[in-house]
Amino acid sequence: MIEVTSHSPEQTRALGRCLGQRFEKQGAILRLCGDLGSGKTCFVQGLALGLGVPDAYAVTSPTYTLINEYPGRLPLYHIDLYRLADHDDADGIGLYEILGYEAVVAVEWSERLPDETWPVPNLKITFTLAHEDFHLIRLNGCGLGMDDLIREAVESWEGKIQG
Amino acid sequence: MNVLGIESSCDETAAAVVVDGRRILSSVVASQIAVHHPYGGVVPELASREHVEAIAPVVAQALAEAGLTADHIDGVAVTQGPGLVGCLLVGFCFAKAYAFARGLPWVGVDHLAGHLYSVLLAEPAPRFPFVALLASGGHTAIYHMEALGRYTMLGQTRDDAAGEAYDKVAKMLGLGYPGGEIIDRLAAQGDPRRFLFTRPYLDKSQSDFSFSGLKTAVYRHIREYPPATAQDHADIAAGFQEAVVDVLVHKLLYAAAAIRCPRVALVGGVAANRGLRERLSADAAFKGIEVYIAPLSLCGDNAAMIAAMGYHSLKSGASSSLDADVYSRSPKPAAPESKEGSGK
Repeated sequence: MIEVTSHSPEQTRALGRCLGQRFEKQGAILRLCGDLGSGKTCFVQGLALGLGVPDAYAVTSPTYTLINEYPGRLPLYHIDLYRLADHDDADGIGLYEILGYEAVVAVEWSERLPDETWPVPNLKITFTLAHEDFHLIRLNGCGLGMDDLIREAVESWEGKIQG
Repeated sequence: MNVLGIESSCDETAAAVVVDGRRILSSVVASQIAVHHPYGGVVPELASREHVEAIAPVVAQALAEAGLTADHIDGVAVTQGPGLVGCLLVGFCFAKAYAFARGLPWVGVDHLAGHLYSVLLAEPAPRFPFVALLASGGHTAIYHMEALGRYTMLGQTRDDAAGEAYDKVAKMLGLGYPGGEIIDRLAAQGDPRRFLFTRPYLDKSQSDFSFSGLKTAVYRHIREYPPATAQDHADIAAGFQEAVVDVLVHKLLYAAAAIRCPRVALVGGVAANRGLRERLSADAAFKGIEVYIAPLSLCGDNAAMIAAMGYHSLKSGASSSLDADVYSRSPKPAAPESKEGSGK
């Protein structure tokens, strides 16, 4: 587990980008957790950049649309469970099918579903609004190779925001 | 020409019959809005399954209310995207099969184009060109409507849609659903000057929006100063609404003035907001700009706008082929009847 502090939306976006750049051929499941306004959508905007999603696509909140798909090196599925009540709703929108795709699947409000829902490996990324000026972002790898992936992404991010 | 319109891109299953892209004979929406939800949203049994159950009865009802039978239908228009692929496919496949079985021309229509054309069903309808603000739960964008079938996007939200911000703030205040309507009502009783939230203009001369920061600002305010009285609630609602309306109205009128367009239009679910309608009308009148607002019944998702848009496509000779597919998201700028998209 690694915890980092982001001081701006740009830094949060950059972290998403560094992580997105790690995904070459193999997809991943990202469980995003955290309160309203804690930086989840912002992070996914960076993730899309890192995955090479064309600029022509505006990465916006999927709260209403539930699932936003973008073409990248791997397809990116940006999903939001905010409006869902339970497992049946998640099944209804096709979540479980998408979790089996070779794609990067980033799920906001993933805490709405129990831990055992999520196939391993996955990454759990928790956003906390600690203060008006900074957000804490905790990255937790679940499964083989995930911790290395996080470490590499965070190191590359630290190099970028310091440089 | 009687066009049967079908819409199933998200929460609603809808069907309508529209004559010559102008006269609505029927517009049926199987709405799930009545079902309240613990998280302040529509119950997302919106899922494709619900559409599958609703589609045939909704189409039958649209024909019945129009006083027509299937023999009177001359063409079919259906939402092709953007939306949830699983939901879109229900309406899309139904329309395909319906048209194929009856030997009718049919066409896939962009959902957002449908919203933009909804104002052409208003009385009076705007002449081209005009500048339109499309604001709903899932979208917020400004378009230059140059001519029938030709429009360009001038800017859009970079994060949350305006309607989403409304629903999330309503949820924070424990107000229930639909948030837009409740906040609009409550704001009318509040003092918009007691709590001033920063207006997210971004660049005042650009047509891009951002409502995520405003949502977070309201959230922080409520966390720090929990509203105790009914008046506190009303004042927060009023302060929030004032900030949203300031930005929407400024951006729309600025965009119109920048390209010297004397007409603006308001479409999408947020167009039902009274505070927004009143302020836009007042500010536009001051600037000598005409305002057109989509009929209240056509602000939310509906199939009449799809049928109207589809009529114009069909009339111009466009028709979709059986191997056409739906798309979940259109790259910007969204072109009418764009064949691009991310596929499934």
